[in-house]
Amino acid sequence: MNMAVGSQGGFQPGKSLRRAWFILITVVLCLWVLLPIYLLFSNAFSTSSGVSAFPKGIVPPFSTESVGFFFRYSGVGKAFWSSIQVAVLTMIMSILIGAPAGYSLSRFDFRGKNLFRILILMTRAFPLPLLALPMAVMFIRVGLDDTILGLALVHTTLALPFAVLITYSLFSGIPIELEEAAWTLGCNRIQAFRKVIFPLVLPGITASAIFAFVISWNEVFAAAVLTIEHRTLPAFILQSLGVAPLHLKFAGGAVLVLPALIFIFLVRKYLFAMWGIANR
Amino acid sequence: MATRRQIQQANGVAEILQGSFMKSVIQKSSALSLVLAASFLGTGSVQAEGVLFWSKQANPPEEQQAMRENVLSGFEGEVDFQGSEPGPWLTRLQAEIKAGSGKIAVLGGLHGDFTTMGDDLVDLSSVDLGDSEMNGTFMELGKLGGGELKYMPWMQATYVMAANKKALEHLPEGADVMALSYDELIAWSKALAEKTGSPKFGFPAGPKGLKHRFFQGYLYPSYTNSMVTKFRSAEAETAWNAFKDLWTVTNPGSTGYDNMSEPLLSEEVWVAFDHTARLANAFNERPEDFIAFPAAAGPAGRGFMPVIAGIAIPSTAPDMDAAKALVAYLTNPATQIETLKATSFFPVVDVELPDDMPPAVKLSGAAIAAMSGSDDANPGLLPVGLGKLGGQFNAVYVDAFERIVLGGEDVKAVLDEQAEALKAVMEEAGAPCWAPDPASDGPCPVE
Repeated sequence: MNMAVGSQGGFQPGKSLRRAWFILITVVLCLWVLLPIYLLFSNAFSTSSGVSAFPKGIVPPFSTESVGFFFRYSGVGKAFWSSIQVAVLTMIMSILIGAPAGYSLSRFDFRGKNLFRILILMTRAFPLPLLALPMAVMFIRVGLDDTILGLALVHTTLALPFAVLITYSLFSGIPIELEEAAWTLGCNRIQAFRKVIFPLVLPGITASAIFAFVISWNEVFAAAVLTIEHRTLPAFILQSLGVAPLHLKFAGGAVLVLPALIFIFLVRKYLFAMWGIANR
Repeated sequence: MATRRQIQQANGVAEILQGSFMKSVIQKSSALSLVLAASFLGTGSVQAEGVLFWSKQANPPEEQQAMRENVLSGFEGEVDFQGSEPGPWLTRLQAEIKAGSGKIAVLGGLHGDFTTMGDDLVDLSSVDLGDSEMNGTFMELGKLGGGELKYMPWMQATYVMAANKKALEHLPEGADVMALSYDELIAWSKALAEKTGSPKFGFPAGPKGLKHRFFQGYLYPSYTNSMVTKFRSAEAETAWNAFKDLWTVTNPGSTGYDNMSEPLLSEEVWVAFDHTARLANAFNERPEDFIAFPAAAGPAGRGFMPVIAGIAIPSTAPDMDAAKALVAYLTNPATQIETLKATSFFPVVDVELPDDMPPAVKLSGAAIAAMSGSDDANPGLLPVGLGKLGGQFNAVYVDAFERIVLGGEDVKAVLDEQAEALKAVMEEAGAPCWAPDPASDGPCPVE
């Protein structure tokens, strides 16, 4: 009896210590993400004097003035719409091009495969400010300048390496035997892909699509140079936030972050599903 | 069997490559394809939306809004005002010039931005100014040293000091805040640090702070009566040593400040030096708590530097007449007053200022008047004739600051080295001296 209690007592602390660690790390990780968002939104909905006041009260003064400024800001609605168009187009194009590339990389052996994989990454080696000038000159000459499609092409180029590499690892994670089993049961290659592989990789593809969306949503420099009437929201707002007073910086930040947050919230189940696959 | 599979494989690959997989994705997300279609439609209907005013100035969101709603709304045509950061501003312009066609009709920028692009700007001498009386000195600057008017002066600003009224009680005995000397400023800052327990002087030495203008237009002219020629003189050494002394009681956060309004509002800093437009927010927010006053004076007078913003038309402008009409509109007195309210940049034409001006305009206006009207006023112009070497010219002063003040290197040794760099810049540009340095034949010498 004594022994049992003793051994239980010896076992408990170790378990509860692990549990305490687990909780502590969870809390730290949550704070890591939530605290900046809390500060962003609490300051965005504060008064301008409340933002620069120190020390801060627990509940900051509430005002919608700073955020309201951006909703009344002429051109915000249009810029928001342009941003969505560019981001969605980027998302679609980078998946349409990236997923087949990822599939081929994972399923077929061909000469120069490794070189090709490195070349894909190389597209990220050149900073945009360096590329923007020749690109803009070309776009003006070709007629792509200041169009949604033109900017989406640039953003697709930025997102493509990630789309290819993410889908490559997704397809590689699915045993070829599954496909082969489908073939032996009478599917042709396309049917096997649609009925077996596609459902399995859909969450992952969605995740890489989200990634493309976010890359496009956050990109400022190319958008600022290549668009004028079709300015995206970041090019329209973020550019001028650096020189804005503090309370407008917070409000503008909140206005920029909110749509991305909502978008990720909407597609969160696909993201979680992808992590499920990664574990398997 | 194996052959059939191979054939199937080959067919499959071909079909995948042909995009049947893609089709299935799109079918599953008809909403997305709708947006896709909409965006293609959107790209088809590109049309000009009035005159594009591509500006590096008036970029903060509140100023952009005021430019659109108050300043440009009175123009007879539509104006599309687009504020931009310096990088995209220049890149877009260069792209249009290189491509030989563009959308930008009117450019807004600082004197220094236009000096590099003289050949690509249209001569504005023919713009009809009506009865606006344009400042003659500024018109000369707009010619960029040639015969054609490359940019039209648009608005002006300068740098002043700002202080929280709480700081005034610690002023040294007998010092007049409207006519301070650098010694008094240092003594004041020391007293503030002592009495309040932390350094309260603030200086915009952040990455985007305008520190170089302080050394070029304030410190050097005040101590050496020169910006270039006496760069490594004994007087310059005195100046840097005085600034080093001031730095000991300067808020260490200064190396992160780009804009002094915020540290003033949060009261991290009680006394600060900055561009009037970058102080405007503090003055407008709490006009009762702050005062504006002239920059300090040294042994050679009260050095200060006016800043000129200009408007120009690139050679690729789509509608030259509309662009010129906008330039003329921006220089008329009523527009200039609206511009002042919107941006805190002062008019460049003769105007009667009405009484309903924002606090920042009244406060800094009084300080500027006291500064330029003081007996010991010693104005230094923005660098003239440096062309694209303007950045290197600024770097000479910023490097000297970083090595002497932040790095603690020997003043004389640093000045000797930086003087060589300065000399190289002046000789490469072949730029003659500008005020306060006496005029020179050939490149401005560095003694």
